[in-house]
Amino acid sequence: MSPTPEYSFAVEYDGPPLGYNLPRAVPISVDNIPVASVVSQVSSSDTLSLPVVQPLLPPQQQHHNHNLHRHHHPVNVKEVRTLDSEPRVSKELQLASEITVSPTSVIAFEHRTSQSNVCELSGELSSSGAFEFSNGNDGEFSDLGGSSRVPEESVGGGTGSSRTAEFSDSRVLKEDGNESLDFNESNRQDWASNESVLSLEYPSTRVSSLKGEEFDARRTVAVTFNVDDSDDASEEEFDVEENVTRPVRREPLTKGKKGSCYRCFKGNRFTDKEVCLVCDAKYCSNCVLRAMGSMPEGRKCVTCIGFPIDESKRGNLGKSSRMLKRLLNDLEVRQIMKAERFCEANQLPPEYICVNGNPLSYEELVTLQNCPNPPKKLKPGNYWYDKVSGFWGKEGEKPSSIISPHLNVGGPILPDASDGNTQVFINGREITKVELRMLQLAGVQCAGNPHFWVHEDGSYQEEGQKNTRGYLWGKAGTKLVCAFLSLPVPSKSSNAVGEQYSNLASRTIPNYLEHGIVQKLLLVGCSGSGTSTIFKQAKILYKSIPFSEEERENIKLTIQSNVYAYLGILLEGREHFEDESLADLKKRKSSELDTTGTSAKLDDKTVYSIGARLKAFSDWLLKTMVSGKLDAIFPAATREYAPLIEELWNDAAIKATYGRRGELEMLPSIGSYFLERAVKILRTDYEPSDLDILYAEGVTSSNGLASMEFSFPQSAHEETVDTADQQGSLFRYQLIRVHARGLGENCKWLEMFEDVEMVIFCVSLSDYDQFSVDGNGCLTNKMILSRKFFETIVTHPTFEQMDFLLILNKFDQFEEKIEQVPLTTCDWFSDFHPIISRNRTNSHSNSINSNPSLGQLASHYIAVKFKRLYSSLTGRKLYVSPVKGLVPDSVDGALRYAKEILKWNEERPNFSLSENSMYSTEASSFSP
Amino acid sequence: MSVTELKECHSATTDTVNNLRDRLKQKRLSLLDTDISGYARSQGRTPVSFGPTDLVCCRTLQGHTGKVYSLDWTSERNQIVSASQDGRLIVWNALTRQKIHAIKLPCAWVMSCAFSPTGQSVACGGLDSVCSIFNLSSPTDKDGNVPVTRMLSGHKGYVSSCQYVPDEAAHLITGSGDQTCVLWDVTTGLKTSVFGGEFQSGHAADVLSISINGSNSRMFASGSCDATARLWDTRVASRAVRTFHGHEGDVNAIKFFPDGNRFGTGSEDGTCRLFDIRTGHQLQVYYQQHGDDIPPVTSIAFSISGRLLFAGYANGDCYVWDTLLAKVVLNIGSLQDSHEGRISCLGLSADGSALCTGGWDTNLKIWAFGGHRRT
Repeated sequence: MSPTPEYSFAVEYDGPPLGYNLPRAVPISVDNIPVASVVSQVSSSDTLSLPVVQPLLPPQQQHHNHNLHRHHHPVNVKEVRTLDSEPRVSKELQLASEITVSPTSVIAFEHRTSQSNVCELSGELSSSGAFEFSNGNDGEFSDLGGSSRVPEESVGGGTGSSRTAEFSDSRVLKEDGNESLDFNESNRQDWASNESVLSLEYPSTRVSSLKGEEFDARRTVAVTFNVDDSDDASEEEFDVEENVTRPVRREPLTKGKKGSCYRCFKGNRFTDKEVCLVCDAKYCSNCVLRAMGSMPEGRKCVTCIGFPIDESKRGNLGKSSRMLKRLLNDLEVRQIMKAERFCEANQLPPEYICVNGNPLSYEELVTLQNCPNPPKKLKPGNYWYDKVSGFWGKEGEKPSSIISPHLNVGGPILPDASDGNTQVFINGREITKVELRMLQLAGVQCAGNPHFWVHEDGSYQEEGQKNTRGYLWGKAGTKLVCAFLSLPVPSKSSNAVGEQYSNLASRTIPNYLEHGIVQKLLLVGCSGSGTSTIFKQAKILYKSIPFSEEERENIKLTIQSNVYAYLGILLEGREHFEDESLADLKKRKSSELDTTGTSAKLDDKTVYSIGARLKAFSDWLLKTMVSGKLDAIFPAATREYAPLIEELWNDAAIKATYGRRGELEMLPSIGSYFLERAVKILRTDYEPSDLDILYAEGVTSSNGLASMEFSFPQSAHEETVDTADQQGSLFRYQLIRVHARGLGENCKWLEMFEDVEMVIFCVSLSDYDQFSVDGNGCLTNKMILSRKFFETIVTHPTFEQMDFLLILNKFDQFEEKIEQVPLTTCDWFSDFHPIISRNRTNSHSNSINSNPSLGQLASHYIAVKFKRLYSSLTGRKLYVSPVKGLVPDSVDGALRYAKEILKWNEERPNFSLSENSMYSTEASSFSP
Repeated sequence: MSVTELKECHSATTDTVNNLRDRLKQKRLSLLDTDISGYARSQGRTPVSFGPTDLVCCRTLQGHTGKVYSLDWTSERNQIVSASQDGRLIVWNALTRQKIHAIKLPCAWVMSCAFSPTGQSVACGGLDSVCSIFNLSSPTDKDGNVPVTRMLSGHKGYVSSCQYVPDEAAHLITGSGDQTCVLWDVTTGLKTSVFGGEFQSGHAADVLSISINGSNSRMFASGSCDATARLWDTRVASRAVRTFHGHEGDVNAIKFFPDGNRFGTGSEDGTCRLFDIRTGHQLQVYYQQHGDDIPPVTSIAFSISGRLLFAGYANGDCYVWDTLLAKVVLNIGSLQDSHEGRISCLGLSADGSALCTGGWDTNLKIWAFGGHRRT
């Protein structure tokens, strides 16, 4: 605790606000006036533009003030920490550890009550004037130096975020001219941010306390998340259209005489005219381009764009008129017709088509239209569909065609679907007379009103009997008879139907459908966070051919040149070590010289020395590296140098250097993986394995954006559980991976991703003790850099309502590292004090009764840190999933979790609150 | 030399450079006795005035389903190529408003597009770090898409802008997020020269925009996130001919003045500036107080005479500046049937008779003189 004099300062400072009865409201109003003058004097007495640097230089002048502030806040901070964050965090950790021990809700409930006490307490504390004020000053002076910064950061997530808010405030303050006004503003904002801290406490503690019970995410989320799913929206869109626009079919207004152009009122019914597909307006050749504009949806008046077409004109879609051909060139006409046929607005509305009495949904229509053998010229109306045999016809009529069977479309077929009266049934449908005639002609025994069971291949059997009685299409005559009776015959392509259906997901989807079906997932992270590993892993997981020949060749070259780069680092290290040991040797020699007096010949051989030939090669390699031409020379020159590399690798000096690779900072951790395989890799016939590809750096092309479309293959157990997933397989996902740098400075190009469904943010857990140079050239902890990037992305206006899934990557490395390097190495995690159980030896076993390992505790803690940060920034819930990027199942799990979240968002409106508690979104996230 | 010595040396040199830069700035300021508007005013010039029919929206090109990010006119025919977030390049006939080609891009995140001088091919670049060339006369594949003719790959960051060298359909210059500009040989697909980058002095941050001098196609200018514009000679790749300081934010847009001796810039700091390439001076700042927030300039274009500067702002405004008097004479964004939302790109037709704007409302609009010409 701080010594008394400072404390008296604090007291002196607290003096002015006399109204102690209302500590929450009064300090604001009173502080406003006196504090404003004090602080604005400080900043105005400094140079106006940079008050942050100045205070260190003229200490005498503002000594008093600084003392006041500087000594003031540690007191508070410590108070806050002891009262607020410390017990809470440790309690949470206890909680976390206890979840696995005994998931009884009693203990958890106890914790919840105790926690809410703490949080009330902290709430009171933070709302008291003193705390508020010191907090406000933190923002002002934390740039002074490390001394004030360190304790300040230990305050915890909530205050930390309010501090950053204040940074920006104070900057606003400096930029503007009017000081008193500014101060008011900043003070107000200060309050706002403080309030957000307050409000934050409750959701976050609630979340963490609920975690104790069963991680009920949806209940908290249901209030805040209102991101609707595009597919959902598109369905709604149809509904809306039906309600609003369809009944009111636009009737064109025409003042001219009958048959004249609707725009210029000239001409008569015999002049050539173009008709609007929606409103039936007719335009002469002079007016058509003006009236229809650039025809983004085909021949529609400009005002009709976006409206569904008149169904009676569906047949004309994509059929060009003579007039357009005269007015426009071929390419232009072709584009119009293409747009007309394929634009979304002109597609058949799904609910206009009834199959077996059920109006279709969007997905069903897509299934129907994209099956290998779709019904031709589908028009609105009522149809029946025999799923077993693929017979298709209008309701009350004989079959009109045979389409792909087994489509999950419409309801079950009704016996009277084709209005037959023959009492002969095929697959539960009473057939018509014509069909019966056909059966008789085909030689099928139809006496006694049999019930037939006809399969898609034409084999038929009587209901309840096992043996196939014959093949409908077996005789050549049958098809002829069918043609005669105008009954359908199976198309040639339908033979391969079964297998085509199974790889439905891999077929390309027409462009106009893409909108509702492809869901985009944006995968981002700082460099080194393993986004590329996850991307590559996803490729290997979901693609039958993850990498094309060309890609593999490129990957090979990249890996090879990477190996040269690693070797270069190794050689550099060798040189360094050689110099070092030579210097050592010399020193020892010279000291020997002094003592013995004999001039021993300097033998400049050390463990790290290499032969002349290798030395020359090494020098050359290093020179190439320094000049940055490594990429240009290397992959091509591999053949030439491979033997040399082998020799080099087997050299004792290199082996010795490799032994000290821990000292080579430049060498990435994966470097050793490749170096140990260097000889194999540098062979010309080297074929990178999947693991090699996963390990390799920079395999995705030139750090640009990479995207892949995929759908989740159905696992066996999922199919039985979830019948709706059949349609789910239609859903395609696009994983878009962008490098942090690829988004431009300040994420300038993030706005291009406004249509993504979810952002998957990747953080490498093992980064907590790593350092990297940030934008200003300062060495910063990589975890802090990740946090900064996370904040930037989360608060980006483009992603206001976006769901975020945080992937805590490299969990495996992290588990190892945490045993050696404490988590508190990173400033952000300085309040990590895990309760380490006594029987640690058991902790690695996977049994439920064991305590969680330190790695699990720590990753949980980090997850909570991020969650709290996220909810303080957005007020919503962050989804977290620890992942081992190199383990396929782990990545698969995380991506499936993302799918689940998307699905939940879609289905959330359909579930009542009570049902929600049955499911746990968190369950899959914590199964490391 | 040890590391510490090197570091000392480096910091000393950095200080010297900054010092010199400051002195240069001071010197420039002392030499800059007037700007264009001051001089023009002293000469009694008055701003251009716009009648109600002088600039009207006469065509709306509909067909994109995403934000339009970039557009370019052909040098001869009245065709426009536009790039949009829906992942398509569309080639338009500006007269009939019809699409001539709709090209589906392999990477949907496109930021820039350009017409070749012959009008035979279009180029586009985006977040995939590749500049793709499409030959418009090549036969389409079975889905009706024009296949990629050539991929110019080699950038290590997104391709923010691309422009063909005038009169040389075989050469193209790109600016990229990897801080470099590259002159490409389109026929071979190889880099001819790289401007800036790790081992050369160039931009210190992402290059956002480039513009080739219309009267001397060996010179081009680039604007960057490092708040500078640089002038380059395509024959001298090693260093920039000149660096232009002045902006206080990212230089989002850069465009050569029609006479080739000046260029204009538009920046994140909300200003447009005019620089002279011969003296290196900043001739004029174009800035108007919009209220509290300062909307960044997203794109600029000059009229054929250079008297007018069209500047699109992030808040949806599109000012027409009188370059002589530095006065806003018209706001296209507030005109009747203008775009809803931001105007993201601007382009003047080769003969200067029409202005095309592309916006985030997915449309392109063509603005031209809408009254009756008195002859």
